[in-house]
Amino acid sequence: MSVLELQQVTGGYTRKPVIKELSFTIEKGELVGLIGLNGAGKSTTIKHIIGTMLPKEGDIRLNGVTLQEDTDKYRSAFSYIPETPVLYDELTLREHLALTAMAYGLDEASLAARSEVLLKEFRMEKRLNWFPSHFSKGMRQKVMIMCAFLVNPSLYIIDEPFVGLDPLGIQSLLDQMDEKKKEGASILMSTHILSTAEKHCDRIILLHEGRVRAQGTMADLRRAFGMPQATLDDLYIAMTKERDHEELA
Amino acid sequence: MKNLRDVWSSRFMHYIGEVQKYMQFIFTGHIAIVLVFLVGAGGYQYSEWLKIVEADFPAEPLIALIIGVLLAFSRPTTLLREPDQVYLLPLESKMSQYFKKALTWTFWSQVWIVAIVYIVSIPLLKAVTELTTVGIWAVFFLIVVLKYISVQGEFNYRYSERGHFIWVDRLVRAVVFGVTMYFALQTKLILALIAAVIGCAYIAVFRKKSVGQPVAYEHFVKLEQNRMMSFYRFANYFTDVPHLRGSIRRRAWLDWLYKFVPYTKGNTQKYLVFRTFVRTDDHFYLWLRLTVISAVIAAFVDIPVVTWIVAGALSFATTIQLKQALLSSGEFRMDMLYPLPENARNIAVKQVVRIAMITQAIIVGLSGVTQPMFYVTFIIVIIVSELTAKMSKS
Repeated sequence: MSVLELQQVTGGYTRKPVIKELSFTIEKGELVGLIGLNGAGKSTTIKHIIGTMLPKEGDIRLNGVTLQEDTDKYRSAFSYIPETPVLYDELTLREHLALTAMAYGLDEASLAARSEVLLKEFRMEKRLNWFPSHFSKGMRQKVMIMCAFLVNPSLYIIDEPFVGLDPLGIQSLLDQMDEKKKEGASILMSTHILSTAEKHCDRIILLHEGRVRAQGTMADLRRAFGMPQATLDDLYIAMTKERDHEELA
Repeated sequence: MKNLRDVWSSRFMHYIGEVQKYMQFIFTGHIAIVLVFLVGAGGYQYSEWLKIVEADFPAEPLIALIIGVLLAFSRPTTLLREPDQVYLLPLESKMSQYFKKALTWTFWSQVWIVAIVYIVSIPLLKAVTELTTVGIWAVFFLIVVLKYISVQGEFNYRYSERGHFIWVDRLVRAVVFGVTMYFALQTKLILALIAAVIGCAYIAVFRKKSVGQPVAYEHFVKLEQNRMMSFYRFANYFTDVPHLRGSIRRRAWLDWLYKFVPYTKGNTQKYLVFRTFVRTDDHFYLWLRLTVISAVIAAFVDIPVVTWIVAGALSFATTIQLKQALLSSGEFRMDMLYPLPENARNIAVKQVVRIAMITQAIIVGLSGVTQPMFYVTFIIVIIVSELTAKMSKS
């Protein structure tokens, strides 16, 4: 059974769909990159997966269940790092961690043990009693990352994770992702930093105008575009050019 | 937009619309009722006091001082906005048209305050001075003129000095106009005239200094932002102002309260909502304000029925506003994704509101402890709150 399975998912804000007949799966222990231009439907896809938008057609299954079938099981199966950090102005860093741990049913001992490791990794130990208004954009992002990695879900959904993080932060995040993968978790990551995606992702999904334009390993993609030596940047540009040709024709 | 006068007009319409939108909430809110009571009580006290005021009461210096200070506070309303520093830059030389309109509005929007204060003091003047009716209204006219001059003065000072040491300017104007008022009330016209001329000369200095200087956009924009912010903050006491993010305070002295929400999965939303209530100024002060009003009335009003009605009305107002404030969920929050039951937030809000209202009931009940049947107030607060929480939509 796949960890995440999208079957012919169509959806959007208005009657005009943003994503159309989207189908893909993510298997256990896989890191999958979701790549596309601005407006290709990456964020909308993610909103459908996390359940803040419901598909007009098609099914989204996490560990075999849809959100309607078993809300609790569905929601416990993933943690999410949004593109722009969403924090509670009225909670300190310590309380953000505690709140997340409570919600996902972690006991206090594991909360203490895991947050200690994460705080050290992201160099935030000294800021436990700070409120978000005192955090920089990068630090806010780190709070989100720590909350997500505090719990042990089957799937991590990470939207544009590298924007705003310093190089050390990026490295820590990649390390965390690697570690979780080794423990068997899957990761869906949307990004524009293609070199990083090419280097770290097991598979790539190229999204274009709300549809899956191509998906697979780098080798699969090179074959599909007929560009055997291409980097992901080359393929990405080729995909957009192709579209321009279609428009001109 | 054809010219800067049109720019002003459209700004002005927008501004008035914004003010009106919130004014209707302010005048229908609970504070308005309290204000009416206060004004009524104050007026009654004043009229009683006038009957016994001694003839040597220093009315002239006191009124001169108050009017002088009020005249000195003449903050210009320019309605300038941040992008103006870029977009209106090419029109720099024509900005005087715009400011003329702005200062006319500033004058009319402020003159009534000092006028009302003076009119209120007229019975006192009649009681303790020998001013004739004509003399009293001549001084009224003088105040209006001085206000006009003061508005020009503060604007020119801010323009030429970029707002630095504005309190020195205000102090000078307060003293000069206060002295003018004092002599006018004593009908020493020559001295009053000299003081007024000194004031005009002082203002002329900064008017001259500001000629040829670039518009102090940064200062005026800042001033506008502060003014609108304080208006929104004020309006926020009565209604929900959408673009106002409530400020947050830790209130560490209340940290011990959180111990009552132990660490369990079932308490997740309560953990959050409790902190949101205590640390968000809007929510916390809403509760505090209404509780204090209710408590003061319970303590000082001797008619039990009045106390009960007020306590019930304020219990209703606190419960419904607190519940709506804590339930509002316009934006995306991470707890929307938590694996918790659908109604977890509703239940948590209900519990936190209940704790807040029991506390209110205790405070109000204890405040009226010297009155007979004070425990009825306590019961009314609880019952009204519970009914409100149950009947209002979730």
